[in-house]
Amino acid sequence: MDALLLRSLQGYVRDTFGHPAWTAICRKADLNFETFEPMLRYDSGMADRVASYAAYTLGRAVDTIWEDMGTYLVTNPGHEGVRRLLRFGGSSFADFLHSLEEMPGRARLAMPDLDLPEFTLNQVSEDCFEIRCRSPIGGMKRVLVGMLTAMADDYGALCLIDGEADGLIKVQILDSAHASGRRFDLTLPERSE
Amino acid sequence: MMGDTTGLQINIGVAGLVRFMPMHLLLEEGGRVISAGPTLMRVLAGQEVTGARFEDLFEVRAPGSVVLVTDLVQRAGQRFRLVPHHNRRVGLRGLGLRLAGTEMVLLNLSFGIDLIAAVREYALTDADFAATDLAMEMLYLAEANAAVTNELRALNLRLEGARMLAEEEALTDPLTGLRNRRAADLVLERLCASRAAFGVMHLDLDYFKAVNDTLGHAAGDFVLENVGRILREQVRAEDCAARIGGDEFVIILPGRTDAQVLQTIATRIIARVSEPMEFEGSPCKISGSIGIVRSSDLTAPDAAQVLVASDRALYAAKHAGRGQAVLLSGECG
Repeated sequence: MDALLLRSLQGYVRDTFGHPAWTAICRKADLNFETFEPMLRYDSGMADRVASYAAYTLGRAVDTIWEDMGTYLVTNPGHEGVRRLLRFGGSSFADFLHSLEEMPGRARLAMPDLDLPEFTLNQVSEDCFEIRCRSPIGGMKRVLVGMLTAMADDYGALCLIDGEADGLIKVQILDSAHASGRRFDLTLPERSE
Repeated sequence: MMGDTTGLQINIGVAGLVRFMPMHLLLEEGGRVISAGPTLMRVLAGQEVTGARFEDLFEVRAPGSVVLVTDLVQRAGQRFRLVPHHNRRVGLRGLGLRLAGTEMVLLNLSFGIDLIAAVREYALTDADFAATDLAMEMLYLAEANAAVTNELRALNLRLEGARMLAEEEALTDPLTGLRNRRAADLVLERLCASRAAFGVMHLDLDYFKAVNDTLGHAAGDFVLENVGRILREQVRAEDCAARIGGDEFVIILPGRTDAQVLQTIATRIIARVSEPMEFEGSPCKISGSIGIVRSSDLTAPDAAQVLVASDRALYAAKHAGRGQAVLLSGECG
């Protein structure tokens, strides 16, 4: 999981703050490389470590960096695949929230050795949800907050998403059809090659 | 509670059928359609479905030689495969059942492996599938797999690029950009192993030590870089020019065994190397001696033997006076 987060962080920082910013972070972190490979393995704890150097170098809170990266992953056109895979979770934002518990199982279908975090969803009332996220990666909860924020937009739902509580994300859906949301077709258009 | 249920009759009604089997087809025993599920209706869009005959809508692909729905349900235990007549790209599979106590036949269909094509073709959404259907999971898996495969392919390309770069660096002399000793050995080994014909020139610079001693290492490096450039200009793309020691070079020329041609090339190289060079205002005067050997003059040579022979030829060239190229023919070794 560290590899995927590190690769995403690399893309987010480069696209948002430019290549020199990423180079500076890698130097501060004492890495002798600056390209992370999503399909390789890195020491656990490396994602949090590099993120703390990113926070220091960019002068931003590490929570903000993880959250913005989560949003970037869903909204950036270069990562359309991430948004699409998440949208398979359900036809509404509430459906999607319910699918979070299935996410590790779904991910394992494609990548058996991917140690995705475990999510537990508790529906407090019709519109209120609590999501617990268990992961060895400290920034994971904040990444999820950023992704949830972007996915609510994608579904056109108006939500309050609060990630301040320890290990817990509170989601309140104020209006599930606030905006029209983004279109989602079940299959990609056939590529003409 | 759970007694014998074999005789139990269940009436789920057409609305129930629609919800549980959005791709069902309900037919009269004679084969005319009574109703079809909403998703199947999308597949059959543009046709009059109600009242149509089964065999006018579908062709049965398996089991073989079945045309009519009555024959189809007689094999109720088997699964069958169909293609709609009007769109043969999307196959269907299913099960059939004669409904007891009625004069009706029920078929339940699914897309099977043609799911992705069907979803694209008919712009289906998750509302078109029963909640129990694994269609969503299959679409998800296909896309997740494609994403993983793409990542792996990209990783492979990046690793291959890095490998080629590392290999290139491992075979290159960084100062002159020529090949290095290891590269020359590999080329010679390959040529010897395939018993190919080739010529080898062994070049040693004359007066190089004097340049190094009087003008310093920077001047020496400058001279070596210049010689590197000259050798690159004088050889063909398929030749291998390598710096194998301080001021020692080897040029391997596959296919070149004509004594006259080799002598001409060597003389030209010596002439170019002997042209005056200037380093920061100071002239660097050097020359070169070349020993030449040909694979045809050696019996079953290996790389080490070739280099020993070329070294011997070089020694003869030096002995003959500097600035000479000497080809040693006859057996040497």
